[in-house]
Amino acid sequence: MNNHQGISWLNDTQAILKFIHKLIHELPELKGRLMNLNEGDLLFSQGDPLEHMYLILEGNITLTRTQPDESEVKLITLGPGSFAGLIAFTTGEPTLTSGRISQQGQALKMRPQQFEQYLNDHPRLKHPLQQLMLNNMIQRYKSNLRLQTRTHLLSKELNKERNDLKKAYAQLEKTHQMLVHQEKMATLGELVSGFAHEVNNPASALMRAAENLIEIYSKFESSHYSYKLFKLGLNAQPVDSNTQRERMLMIEKRYPWIHERSSVRKLAHMSDEALNLIDENRKKGEMDTLINHYEAGKMIHNIRIASNRIVNLVKSLKSYSRQDQNKEEYADIRDGIQDTILVLSNRLKFIDLDLKLHDIPRTCANVGDLNQVWTNIIVNACDAMKDQGALRISTESNDESILVRISDSGPGIPENILPRIFEPNFTTKNQGAEFGLGLGLAISSEIIGQAGGEIDVANKTGCGAEFSISIPIRDDC
Amino acid sequence: MDHKIYILIVEDELEVMDALVKDLENFEKIFPVETANDTTEAMNVIDYILDHGHKIGLILCDHVLPGKNGVNLLIELQKDEATARSKKILVTGQAGHEDTILAINKADLDHYVAKPWTEQELQEVVRDQLTDYVIENEKNLLAYMQILDAEKLSEEMRKHKMTDH
Repeated sequence: MNNHQGISWLNDTQAILKFIHKLIHELPELKGRLMNLNEGDLLFSQGDPLEHMYLILEGNITLTRTQPDESEVKLITLGPGSFAGLIAFTTGEPTLTSGRISQQGQALKMRPQQFEQYLNDHPRLKHPLQQLMLNNMIQRYKSNLRLQTRTHLLSKELNKERNDLKKAYAQLEKTHQMLVHQEKMATLGELVSGFAHEVNNPASALMRAAENLIEIYSKFESSHYSYKLFKLGLNAQPVDSNTQRERMLMIEKRYPWIHERSSVRKLAHMSDEALNLIDENRKKGEMDTLINHYEAGKMIHNIRIASNRIVNLVKSLKSYSRQDQNKEEYADIRDGIQDTILVLSNRLKFIDLDLKLHDIPRTCANVGDLNQVWTNIIVNACDAMKDQGALRISTESNDESILVRISDSGPGIPENILPRIFEPNFTTKNQGAEFGLGLGLAISSEIIGQAGGEIDVANKTGCGAEFSISIPIRDDC
Repeated sequence: MDHKIYILIVEDELEVMDALVKDLENFEKIFPVETANDTTEAMNVIDYILDHGHKIGLILCDHVLPGKNGVNLLIELQKDEATARSKKILVTGQAGHEDTILAINKADLDHYVAKPWTEQELQEVVRDQLTDYVIENEKNLLAYMQILDAEKLSEEMRKHKMTDH
């Protein structure tokens, strides 16, 4: 009778069982201990003191154990030749398991306290029973060994799964950040293009109005002194405060009868050519009117300069944020660096900028993404330097790749955080990056990785940190 | 009046400076305008004005200046006894920025003007601040009636007369 437990001592057991059957027929008091096993009956409950021990002759008893969380675990199914209640019998403690009949049959039911008695009363029974018990013990020991091995394997598998899960989570985190970043950039791109349109309209109106005003003035006889003064004002170079002061002293001497300080200031702004023109025509018009012709030219000059600056700023903002995300183009990445610097000019106002942008070949790259990398590194550098110090950006190339180096004069990066600096979620700053200024170095590292390049950081001897980024030169886009 | 009360404008962008000066032209009959393009120059101009026995009634300062932040300049001037009483106005393109808040708290900033400003707005702020300045620092207020807040000045003079008697 071979069952699913793969019991290897069955041959022996069968012989013993045959012998015991024979004895039962011969010994009436043993026959009295015989009981029928009815499928589904509970023989004993976990935690109860053991009343009987059962030697299964036919059928199966299944041992189960109730876990602290009330779930029931099936431990073992005992077949013919097995003892149920053996452990409790050996230890004398309450049963560790519940025993339920899972296949009908027969068993010898014995009181543990009387067991010794049976053995002594029936010396012929003693040996086979002892043998059976030993076999039972051996079998359970073996299954214990198997369990140990299985547990070990399982925990190993579990460990591996946990590590895989960890990796998957990190990957997910990275992807998530990348997505958030792309979403941010897309939003920024939309915002910028809407903004660019809205700003370019009034800026164009300004520029056009200025040009039209110039045309209106030019309707005056071009040799007319008023137009000449206007023209001079239009092309005047701005004057700094120091020069202005010096020239004001000169004007006060040249026109001692002018007391209005604002008039003195305006005259001080004029070139000698304009002053001579005023002197020549002073009798034809009021002094103030003469000055105003020049002033009008100057104002329009200022409108021209200012509106041009607006248009240029919008242009670089647009090119910086690159609406067409995810698109590689054959580009000179130095243009992106220049755009980034212009967009960040407010942050760089007190920074001593040293640009060594040597000629590099064009390559296939997502310039908008790369701009994020430059931004991240430059903004970090500004933070590290507390917005005061020197920033150096250089480009060079060899046959295969372009190398960009960005270094600052800050305190450098503490050695203990240096290896972790490109990890997602690693920050030394409070959360809440400024809008559009990237999500940090993890993203930068991801972007450079996607470009097939490498990003590295080291502290310079002396002071400051240096990032080096290499990007392979490609023309397959 | 043996001394003059100056308005000092600190602004690094010359076109913006032009516009500020132009909008404050009306005050120049009584309050001469001086200009500086950076903080060092500003300090020199201040020294020059004070050395010649004049006073600085109002400092109008750009927010972002080369070499130093306008807020820091105002904080420094507030600490300096010679300029502590001068009215200080920050002209900023970043209203609401934490720097602006710092300026209001630390530099005892009297007002800030957001860029872009309007002529009327700027002139009102400057008129109010200069009115306060002369009330706090000058004896003869009558001289300022023409271009400053006449109502406030006459109110002040009335009060003085009452206490004189």
